[in-house]
Amino acid sequence: MNKHFTRWGERALLVLISVVVLFPIAWMFLTAFKQPRDAYSLSLNFVPTLQNFVTVFSDPWNLGSMVMNSVTVATVTVLIAVPCASLAAYSFSRFCVRGRKFLFFLILSTQFIPAVVIVLPFFLMFRSLELLDTRTALIIVNLAIVTPFVIWMIKGFIDAIPTDSEEAAMIDGASRFRVIKDIVLPMAAPGILTSSIFCFILTWNEFLFALILSRRDAVTLPVGLVSFRTERGDLWELMSAAGVMITVPIFVMALLIQKHFTRGMTAGAVK
Amino acid sequence: MAEVRLVDIEKRYGNFLAVPQQSLTIEDGEFLVLLGPSGCGKTTTMRMIAGLEEITSGDIQIAGERINDKPPKDRDIAMVFQNYGLYPHMTVRQNIEYPLKLRGVDKAARTKRVQEMADKVELGALLDRRPSELSGGQRQRVALARAIVRTPKIFLMDEPLSNLDAKLRVTMRAELKHLHHELGVTTVYVTHDQMEAMTLASRVAVMREGRIVQLDTPKKIYAEPANLFVAGFIGSPSMNLVDGAVRNGMFRAEGIEVPVSLADREGVVIGIRPEELEIAGDASASINGKLYALELTGDSTLVTLRSGQTMLCARGPADFEAPIDAPCHLTPKPGARIHLFDRASGQRLDGTRH
Ligand SMILES: Nc1ncnc2c1ncn2[C@@H]1O[C@H](COP(=O)(O)OP(=O)(O)OP(=O)(O)O)[C@@H](O)[C@H]1O
Ligand SMILES: [Mg+2]
Repeated sequence: MNKHFTRWGERALLVLISVVVLFPIAWMFLTAFKQPRDAYSLSLNFVPTLQNFVTVFSDPWNLGSMVMNSVTVATVTVLIAVPCASLAAYSFSRFCVRGRKFLFFLILSTQFIPAVVIVLPFFLMFRSLELLDTRTALIIVNLAIVTPFVIWMIKGFIDAIPTDSEEAAMIDGASRFRVIKDIVLPMAAPGILTSSIFCFILTWNEFLFALILSRRDAVTLPVGLVSFRTERGDLWELMSAAGVMITVPIFVMALLIQKHFTRGMTAGAVK
Repeated sequence: MAEVRLVDIEKRYGNFLAVPQQSLTIEDGEFLVLLGPSGCGKTTTMRMIAGLEEITSGDIQIAGERINDKPPKDRDIAMVFQNYGLYPHMTVRQNIEYPLKLRGVDKAARTKRVQEMADKVELGALLDRRPSELSGGQRQRVALARAIVRTPKIFLMDEPLSNLDAKLRVTMRAELKHLHHELGVTTVYVTHDQMEAMTLASRVAVMREGRIVQLDTPKKIYAEPANLFVAGFIGSPSMNLVDGAVRNGMFRAEGIEVPVSLADREGVVIGIRPEELEIAGDASASINGKLYALELTGDSTLVTLRSGQTMLCARGPADFEAPIDAPCHLTPKPGARIHLFDRASGQRLDGTRH
């Protein structure tokens, strides 16, 4: 009886939390398909329209270039960060170098510095390099933010792979790089993929640095959202449409991660 | 020519001394079996030869060349790992093929060779499975096939047959023996199986706590164990060892009197193998006590006799029968080897014929 009650209590709590979490998202998705006059009503009784999406992609909003910026910055960041981080993670996992723990801590500790503290030095640096408002600057900054995190994450996956197969491969005549290519990468692949997607999401959502370092040419989607707060008021329906554009790729990736995440956890050598 | 020479090698894990300083030479073409209880450093020794474990001090030479700093891949070794070390993301075929692939053997030759090996270890039908879809014994055979698929300078085999059923183990043992005869490759082999050690080895190294306590031919190890440890470790069921003393050419302990040719001495341990004892008719026998247990092994019966505080075991005829607790008498067979050891040092005192 009592147990039954707690069971129901738990369910009610879960539902409540889901509602609180999902409400803004549901609201955004609905508003994205509303006409301006319906934007402020909570009624579900409206005529859906795709007009908002057309508007945000045309002048003066030009969401298209922001999408391009976001995609480019996130993709290039992943393409550079993940291979480098994989090699670093492998070294941290397998080689007993003096001071390894300290070095690893040092790399991770960069994550403890609040972004606001370093955003101004970055701004000044990129100004003197004349890289302000370029994708290059954003890629560099994101690499700095994301790489330590990805190293840490991939190291976890590589730590979980037993060294037996690697040793066997070395005896069979494989060089260290061959071992990494033939044995480690295939076995760590689910983990590396998961980390890549994480890395992509982090970069995709990065806001503070993009806001400070870009002005017009290199504006990314999250920063672009701010421009819908005009002197004519907040254009909620357009902001929602743009919001949908930001969220959908992340949703898709989250789904992919979910599938591979469990694979990443269960992959491992056989005795 | 692939003689393996371990010169004053030592291995420490932090403060733990796994293999204390010692030397060992494995002759070219020799089949050396490492024998010893669990945790005595057999795997560690092999891994040092393979280059997977750094040696704390000393030198390793293969064919006269110091190879301390050579990575495993340049040592031209093939190894069967105790825990297999298969490639879980590759099929059985790819697993066996991998060493050949790394050496640039062409596709056709590889396919043929893999098929041969798979047939040899009776895995021909499972080539397209992954290791996770195999039983323990099948995995072990994949590991074995992967090691013998090419001809290296040295084979290292860490209990390569431990997981196979009795029948397959005998077949594989014969395969390995034949392979060694055919290729003459220097082999270091770890096993717990006495039969394997006896049948395969050119020489056996008995290890204890990292130290080689006796290195000799199987025959010699069996016939003349150098100390109590080897005496108790080699042979199944193990040698009967009884504490006592020698007086007037007679070894005496409770219920036991065996003539020996040794000067009077206290603190002596006598050793007699079960297969060198026979059941005697009456109380004039050397060993008298009560029957404690009978175990039929098929071709013989293990007779355990209790004399005072000690138990002795003899291998008697398969049809021997007697009630438990009945008086029982044993006597060394004519020509039986009586081993005598010093209690305090454990060292062999003398080997005398009865
Ligand atoms: N990486 C390690 N760190 C610390 N101690 C180790 C390590 N590897 C092995 N040892 C220790 O070294 C000793 C020898 O181990 P080893 O694996 O060589 O034993 P073994 O003779 O192969 O035993 P088994 O028959 O059980 O396989 C053991 O006491 C073990 O605990
Ligand atoms: Mg071992």
